[in-house]
Amino acid sequence: MRKQRIKLLLKKLVYLFKLDVLIIPILLLYLVNIIVQYSATDKNISRLISDIFYLGISFVVMLIIAHLNINHIKILSKPLYIFSIILLILVLTFGIQVNGARRWLNVGVHIQPSEISKLAVPLLLSYYFSLRESVPSGMNFLKAFIILVIPCLLILKQPDLGTAILVFASGFYVMFFAGLSLRVIIVSITLLILSSPIVWHFLQSYQKYRILTLLNPQSDPLGKGYHIIQGIIAIGSGGFLGKGYLQGTQTHLSFIPEKSTDFVITVMAEEFGYLGVFIVLLLYFFIILRGLSIARNSDNIFSKTMAGSIAMSFFTYVVINMGMVSGVLPVVGIPLPLISYGGTATMVIMAEIGILLSIAQSEGYRKKSLLPY
Amino acid sequence: MNSSRITVSYVTVVTLLLIILARYTYLQLFSYNELSQKSISNYSSTVANLPVRGTILDRNNVVLANNVVSYAVGILPKDYSKSVDLISQLGKYVNITKLDIKKFKHQLKNVKNYNIVIIKDDLTNVEIANLTSHIYSIPKVMVFARIKRNYPFANIYSHAVGYVGKISTNDLSSHNIQGYLVNDYIGKSGLEKFYESSLRGVMGEKIIQTDAKGNEISLIKNTPGIDGNTIKLTIDNKLQNLASSLLQGKNGAIVAINPQTGGILAFVSQPGYNPNWFIDGINYEGWDELRGNPDKPLLDRVLQSSYPPGSTFKPFLGIAALYLGFRTPTYSMFDPGYFVIPGSTHKFRDNPIPYGLGTVAMEKAIVLSSDTYFYKLAYDMGIDNIDKGVSLFGLGRKTGIDLPDEESGLLPSKRWKERKFKNSLYQHNWLPADSITVGIGQGFNHYTPLQMAYATTIIANEGTVIKPHFLDTIINHKGEVIYSWKNESYTLPIKKANFDFMKKAMQMVVTNGTARQIGYGLEYTMAGKTGTAQVVSTIKNGRQQKFAGKKYKDHSWFIAFAPTKDPKIAISILVENGGFGTQSAAPIARKLFDFYLLGKS
Repeated sequence: MRKQRIKLLLKKLVYLFKLDVLIIPILLLYLVNIIVQYSATDKNISRLISDIFYLGISFVVMLIIAHLNINHIKILSKPLYIFSIILLILVLTFGIQVNGARRWLNVGVHIQPSEISKLAVPLLLSYYFSLRESVPSGMNFLKAFIILVIPCLLILKQPDLGTAILVFASGFYVMFFAGLSLRVIIVSITLLILSSPIVWHFLQSYQKYRILTLLNPQSDPLGKGYHIIQGIIAIGSGGFLGKGYLQGTQTHLSFIPEKSTDFVITVMAEEFGYLGVFIVLLLYFFIILRGLSIARNSDNIFSKTMAGSIAMSFFTYVVINMGMVSGVLPVVGIPLPLISYGGTATMVIMAEIGILLSIAQSEGYRKKSLLPY
Repeated sequence: MNSSRITVSYVTVVTLLLIILARYTYLQLFSYNELSQKSISNYSSTVANLPVRGTILDRNNVVLANNVVSYAVGILPKDYSKSVDLISQLGKYVNITKLDIKKFKHQLKNVKNYNIVIIKDDLTNVEIANLTSHIYSIPKVMVFARIKRNYPFANIYSHAVGYVGKISTNDLSSHNIQGYLVNDYIGKSGLEKFYESSLRGVMGEKIIQTDAKGNEISLIKNTPGIDGNTIKLTIDNKLQNLASSLLQGKNGAIVAINPQTGGILAFVSQPGYNPNWFIDGINYEGWDELRGNPDKPLLDRVLQSSYPPGSTFKPFLGIAALYLGFRTPTYSMFDPGYFVIPGSTHKFRDNPIPYGLGTVAMEKAIVLSSDTYFYKLAYDMGIDNIDKGVSLFGLGRKTGIDLPDEESGLLPSKRWKERKFKNSLYQHNWLPADSITVGIGQGFNHYTPLQMAYATTIIANEGTVIKPHFLDTIINHKGEVIYSWKNESYTLPIKKANFDFMKKAMQMVVTNGTARQIGYGLEYTMAGKTGTAQVVSTIKNGRQQKFAGKKYKDHSWFIAFAPTKDPKIAISILVENGGFGTQSAAPIARKLFDFYLLGKS
């Protein structure tokens, strides 16, 4: 009797929380987030409470999406895309201007429409490819490319190079998993490299500057290079075990800029050392692997391309953020998933995780076991 | 869709994450030491705890060098713009002289950006009050206090105490100078230089933790500096001031020594200069003026300049002759007013006594300063024996006084002449004539006034040799005496009778001899010897010539000590172009002795 009741309760719990193995690294990263943010905000309790509040909301959003049928999500893709485009146009005119860029809309709370595009673009593209039963033609890819490029250009106009890159990447991954010819990819990349002098010409001067200072941070140790240099000092001076929690001198003596957002990994690296960084990287690795495994085990194009895009986008956030902070990539302003402070970005990532979970629960999914890989 | 795309993704993910991991491995494990250092230097900044330089006192604790708080108004070079007429704006509240403007403009060109350039130093209280209430109207200038070295007696001690100045970049990079900052002060000359390590003290440091904006967060380490030691001298400020005033307007040197201790009582080189000018770097015009001055105020005539001793050489040669057995006190000769080397015809004349003194023994030769007697004596002794005897009095060697850059003078020898004139047209063999001119203190030999005073103390002490020195005691910052000068003395192997004889002869110089006009009404016993050093030497010109004008007037010498029994003071005085020793040097000695021994002024 009792055994049965416990079993039933467990089943309900499994159902309610979609007890996929994915939840474990997510919750662990939540823990990391709270620990690091407490330090990164210099023990600012009110900021910590709002951080925890956003994390909670995001988790609920994830649970709700995870309970949605994947087909319902699929139907939502078109209106969501149109909605996101409208918001992107609105933000260019009514957006709040900060440091010369219009990225936020004030609708009671500040929202960043470009974040919604990170979700809407791959959804619509996956939906678009799922309508085609045979192998998509070149024409299909051209149309998909147009769907992709419109929001990217609007975001670039804000200007927000970082998010534009991420939105483009999310769409590109859909096309990649839909079977975009490797030859086209290689030719495009070659063309991109060849055209880089032209692109350079159109870049904003601050973006040019960031690339230049990346190439040689010491050239401007008090200007833009300062961020990179101080970040590297924070990371390196952490050593293997770190300086200890709340003991980071770079962190707490204001040497690190944007320490609770883009540069949050430097706080982790300084206070918890190489070990801390390694654990975070391992958690990310689990999430990405699980995402790719869900993509592999899906039976339809929509689920496959969407899951693949979510996993690879997540991977892209991690690589670009950790790369830019440690001085191997230009500083483009991309937060570190689930650890950086920021409501909208966390919300979108958790929504994506929710979609992954929904896919893993869908009817055509091949392995419904608790063992993921 | 094929699953190979998933495989490509796996490979991409693993590869790029490994690259990222490699980057963090490189930074955190392989660059740890370097970046850790950078992190430390990021947040810690070191501030020097500068020690206060020790003061210099005379024997009665009169301050000769100390530190004063000085208020100055200045500006950072980066804040200075030519468009604003700063000087005339400031001129409303402080008195800015042309020299100040020159100094300011000169420094502006030479100072690095983060050092304040002083516009006007040593502000008066009224100026400070005026400035502080109006400073808001003059952009960027600041009034600041600093501790400045101060020499209250200015020119009186230029050469003895010396001065401090800004440390040079050469000094800073030298290995044996440590614990100084850029722009720090260091002893540049005189006692300030000689006792630098003692006066300086030890620099401490304060390490503070700062945030990125440079705000102080906490104190990591604080080692206080140790203030410099006080140097107490044997010099007598009153005597020094009197000596300086007696030499006022003349070029010359006075050095007085306590024969019983070797302690310097007065040390004057005229003209002097104001050491206060050198502390923050003298401007070019001022420097050129000092350097180009024909009276050479920068030259320390007491120990860096040597002169032919003239007849003041005679007592030393006399004792040497008695000691080595070339003469006895009773030995006498006939003086016709000149000396001729046997077998030659050239007459070495006694110019002041052209007709001679008749029969002369050593005592008369000293008292009336007979050249003929000493011509013959020098000829009889030869330079080797002259050297042997006279060098016992330290002539031609550094005395080893506690001042830097002492000159050694010259007691010539055969070897010296060979080397000196090896490659010249002059005869480089030692000639009898060379010994003869040395015998009356002319020719090749020349000594510093300090050496002559030192040699005089040896006669005064009847053969006991004590090194001259300025230092009495060194007192640390807690007021404890950490060092007292210890006399190292030794006695010459010369019979006391010889000294007694010479002291008596020198006493007669003052009572009956060449210096008798200073002997009237003397209330104590005094021994002395006059001297006249020819400025134009026969060697330089081939033959002696007569020149007119002050520049070619002979130098006047006087050496003396008093009282003759247990002397308390020995002195040597040189007045450049002062004529006969009797005329200008000797009266100064009388006044100084009267003051020192009797308190008369």
